[in-house]
Amino acid sequence: MSDAASPSPLLSAEHLRKVYPDGKVVALEDVSLAIAPGEHVAIMGPSGCGKSTLLNLLGALDRPDSGEVFFEGVPLSRQRSLARLRSRKVGFVFQSFHLLPTLTALENVQVPMFGGPLSAWGRARKARELLETVGMLHRVKHTPSRLSVGERQRVALARALANDPVVLLADEPTGNLDSRSAAEVLDLFSSLHRDRGLTLVVVTHSPEVARRCGRVLWLSDGRLVKEERNPDADGHLQAWASSGMPSILS
Amino acid sequence: MYFASFLLKNLVRRKARSLLTILGIAVAIGTVVTLRGVSYGFERSFRANFERRGIDLVVVAAGIPDQLRSNLDEDIGPRIERIEGVRRVSSGLLELVNIDRGDSVISVLVNGWRPGGAQLEDLTIVSGRAIRPEDSRAIMLGVTLAEHLNKGVGDTVTMQDERYDVVGVYRSFDLFENGGAVVPLATLQREMVRPGTVTGFTVELVPARDKEALADTVRRRIEALVDAKGKPCGITAQPTRAYVSGTVYIRMANGMAWITSGIALIVGGITILNTMITAVMERTKEIGLLQALGWVRARVLGMVLGEAVLLSVTGATVGIGAAMLVIRWLAGVPQTSGFVSGQVSPVVIAEGLGLTLLMSLIGGVGPACRAAGMQPTEALRHE
Repeated sequence: MSDAASPSPLLSAEHLRKVYPDGKVVALEDVSLAIAPGEHVAIMGPSGCGKSTLLNLLGALDRPDSGEVFFEGVPLSRQRSLARLRSRKVGFVFQSFHLLPTLTALENVQVPMFGGPLSAWGRARKARELLETVGMLHRVKHTPSRLSVGERQRVALARALANDPVVLLADEPTGNLDSRSAAEVLDLFSSLHRDRGLTLVVVTHSPEVARRCGRVLWLSDGRLVKEERNPDADGHLQAWASSGMPSILS
Repeated sequence: MYFASFLLKNLVRRKARSLLTILGIAVAIGTVVTLRGVSYGFERSFRANFERRGIDLVVVAAGIPDQLRSNLDEDIGPRIERIEGVRRVSSGLLELVNIDRGDSVISVLVNGWRPGGAQLEDLTIVSGRAIRPEDSRAIMLGVTLAEHLNKGVGDTVTMQDERYDVVGVYRSFDLFENGGAVVPLATLQREMVRPGTVTGFTVELVPARDKEALADTVRRRIEALVDAKGKPCGITAQPTRAYVSGTVYIRMANGMAWITSGIALIVGGITILNTMITAVMERTKEIGLLQALGWVRARVLGMVLGEAVLLSVTGATVGIGAAMLVIRWLAGVPQTSGFVSGQVSPVVIAEGLGLTLLMSLIGGVGPACRAAGMQPTEALRHE
């Protein structure tokens, strides 16, 4: 865990354990970590090592079988409504975008805002602003089928920002994209991290994605086995331990 | 984007299924409104017939649910009139009689009334005149019947194989009377072989501060009347509203309407249930996504229920519109024009809409709860 000198974590986990519903496969075992506000963290590891499961637990989409996730210091087990927490604090970006096919880009971005304080007009205005942020203002009336895969992911990113989350969780956000689209999306992630101070947690197989992150957590067989940091977020990955910072690995 | 627009887009997404569901609901609610519209109009018109004439009590034979089979000695009328508190008593013989229409025979309610009697005062003579004491084979036609028979003053109609001269055409505030005919009481008694008998009596009371109490007193005295041998006359006197709602035809019409409507509603509810279950299963991943985006359970519940309500209300609107057209058409058909008013009461439309909401809840709650209870991670993994 981080020491007292480190900023208090936005997200932290203690001894997480998660077993798949069949009860035979352990997805996560004794995973502990801490993510500070404004950090850009990648979670890497081979397929089936528990990366997405960890992301789901951190994003309050699921509950661990044991252990605890803390969001802004508050244990999720004490949250009355995880959905409300997700609505206010967390933005999700998925590998396959998950845009609703009958809605336009502008309408897709408004979907998370239902039930919020904005009027229909206010929702549309905000969605337009967010689409402008991701460079999709020229495609507001296009349905997903008329967008390229890169454009779809940018719309999905705008949707993830709809309720001004403090943390953005992305599961293989470039997994379905060609290299050029992937680079555009990664640039957007970087600018959001830089300009808005958003905390980013990205599950990825891509070294290119990891290279842009300040810290990389490695999972293997459901266990956190290694962490590396990249001080300038563009240079070579360095071992966290060798930077002189305390390791989160116990 | 409004939430309602979002729901609408979800329904438009599967056009064929949504249209078929709307059609199913339209048939269900259309059936309900048509049947209830007819039975409600039937009851309302029947009651208005008595209430607008200021009738306080209706006297018929006791223990006979079918008014047409009520058979009373017409001499009871003057005895009722002598009871304190009674202002006026009218008697009449009502029969369902076949009238030759040329190419077909139709059954018509024919009233046998005394010429110059109180009932005739409430009719508006459109053409010709009212029946007179000297008339024997004279008949007055209601406007609806005259139109369907294409007969007017000076023509003849064949009733029970006997020819009658049309002496007048009248308009009544009562639907049944417009679709029926009036002949002298003695003529109908003779033709139906019911000499000296009437179907019943209508009683008007004198003005009183407590009309209900007076009606109750008079009612008991009427029912206590005895014949020459000292035996009870076997008659029952009922306040108008109780008599109308207890009439076997009204009860049968209402009962049939509600039973058929109940079946239609069950079918409609199952239609919605089937549609919404399929929609929820097909959209499992999408529901998981909405939950991941922060939709609380109540909002997911609202989405599915909202879609069910939207489908139902659209179907109901189509069904109610169709029912109004059907009822208007029935009012123009000779076989039914005598008892179908052509108007659908707002009460019946409100009932139809109320049942629609009930139906959408029956069909929508289960799938909505299922959707709201999904685990987002499992839903997102669903293929």
